[in-house]
Amino acid sequence: MKRFIHHKLLLTMAVVIMALSLSSCHDTPEYHNDYYGNFDALADIVGERYCFFAEKNIDWKQLCEQYRARITPETKYLELFRICSDLLDELKDGHVNLISYFNTSYYREWWSDYPQDFNLRTLQQYYLGFDYYQTSGISYKFIDEKIGYMYYPSFSSPISATSLDYILAILSKTEGLIIDIRNNGGGMLTNIETLVGRFIDKKTLGGYIRHKTGPEPDAFSEPYPIEYKPAADGHVKYKGKIIVLTNRSCFSAANDFVAVMKSLPGVRIVGAKTGGGGGLPFSSELPNGWAVRFSACPITDPDDKPTEFGIDPSPGCEVHSPDEELAAGKDAILDFAIRLLESEG
Amino acid sequence: MKAFLGAALLTVFSADAGAQEESRPVTQQYRLEIGGTDVVSTYLSPLKYDGSSFTASGQWSKAFQKNPEHVVMQFDASATWRSMRNPARTASMIGLDAYFGWGMAYRHRFPGGFQVTAGGALDLSGGCLYLLRNGNNPVTALASAGIDLTASGSYKWRIGRLPILISDELRLPTFNAFFCPGYGQTYYEIYLGNHKGLAHCGWWGNRFSIDNLLSVKLDFRRTAMEVGYRYSLQTYWANNLNTRISTHSFVIGIIPHGLGMKRRRPNTNYSLY
Repeated sequence: MKRFIHHKLLLTMAVVIMALSLSSCHDTPEYHNDYYGNFDALADIVGERYCFFAEKNIDWKQLCEQYRARITPETKYLELFRICSDLLDELKDGHVNLISYFNTSYYREWWSDYPQDFNLRTLQQYYLGFDYYQTSGISYKFIDEKIGYMYYPSFSSPISATSLDYILAILSKTEGLIIDIRNNGGGMLTNIETLVGRFIDKKTLGGYIRHKTGPEPDAFSEPYPIEYKPAADGHVKYKGKIIVLTNRSCFSAANDFVAVMKSLPGVRIVGAKTGGGGGLPFSSELPNGWAVRFSACPITDPDDKPTEFGIDPSPGCEVHSPDEELAAGKDAILDFAIRLLESEG
Repeated sequence: MKAFLGAALLTVFSADAGAQEESRPVTQQYRLEIGGTDVVSTYLSPLKYDGSSFTASGQWSKAFQKNPEHVVMQFDASATWRSMRNPARTASMIGLDAYFGWGMAYRHRFPGGFQVTAGGALDLSGGCLYLLRNGNNPVTALASAGIDLTASGSYKWRIGRLPILISDELRLPTFNAFFCPGYGQTYYEIYLGNHKGLAHCGWWGNRFSIDNLLSVKLDFRRTAMEVGYRYSLQTYWANNLNTRISTHSFVIGIIPHGLGMKRRRPNTNYSLY
């Protein structure tokens, strides 16, 4: 009996020791919830997972040392947020945010340093006459008998396949379609599939996606193709010419949409270079509870070129709509697209 | 999943000759477990979340037909709900997972009321951890299938006329296959079809888990009651990602029809005890 108890005790001890030793093999770093601990957590999270250091030629370690030196015993809590968000702004990335209960940091220069090239009021008043159809986040109307127009301001608005059937069926008599995505800041990538599927007849390469495979700066997976399938039989497809209108505020999913549409035959991109946002963002958090969001998975175009810095309009199609013209009721980008379709009859 | 469950239940509850069946009753145990849990999933966050867990579980066991004195087979199922918060209490994580296991064990009875079992089990488990505020990386999916080592020790005694059983049941997964997304991979990329590097062979170096239940059972003849303490630890290490779920639970259970300790019929092989 004693021998049995002895063996059982030994077995239990062995298992417990094994459990503790094996489970501690892969310990995660722990950070103190003080100013330095939170800063270091931010530096490590972004340093290990951000995906565009090489493309942007950023020496992250050096930047972290520089900004860490700004923390002193006199630093206030709000100042810590400013130091951390200033560090993140060095990434020059609209997908990067530091989020707290009192503020969300956001790098705005990716669009604020550029002309807007768009005015919603001008569009609605002078081109749509405040009289247009609207469904699934899409506003649409006939510009004339031969030209259809749809405005999709956010890929966050889910597109119903049935609604899209109606929209395209109604506009199917036209010879050309203008898809205006100016000021579209992105949203769900699955909406790109829904939309692109109506303009293709066969499986189409839309770009590539990679992800980080480890914390090392150059640890990336092989590119994986993003392929779009044509909409299933029974759904309405548009067969005419297509022009996509862009401005600098086209970002993220809108940027990806432009990349794939630009590669389709017969589709032209008219307007200004898009704002980029070619990295699918991840989320993480700091010990004090602040959340951080950053680009983690680079998405490239069908030629495997980066989309992070924006997509250029088609050759000869770069157009800007100056603010003074927009204020006077004239949208040069939309006018250019209409003239282009009219000239091609 | 359905096939596994069906086969396991069919095996435990398989009908054979009526008289033979009566000598090998199925011992059913149903438990509710309430406890504290802490979770680290570096895919979601570098921080340790802590909170509470609630588990409903069942265990069905019976003596094996061909060697009822020494071999026991057992089916286990459980479902666990977890609710946790980060250290700063600014974010919430929820978890849901289920476990199914079917196994056989060799039993040896010692004089004086001691019994030990040792055996193996096939296990299937799945679930997820969901960090509500994350965008493209909101979920750690948990899925695993493999072989467990099992062992138990029990001791019978009495307080007055009330039979009591103290037991310790240990389950130790050994070799298995489990799922883990890439270090920085989104579920969107998996949805696109990139499944490379998602399935992993597990052993104690990268998928160490342990489940231990220490309990006291009071046999009231028509029914029995159980109180106990369970410690469970699940770890996953793959693709530079670390997931660790640890739970301490208070267990309360009921065993309909009792354990057969109070009035044991001759020639009857009660499943575990």
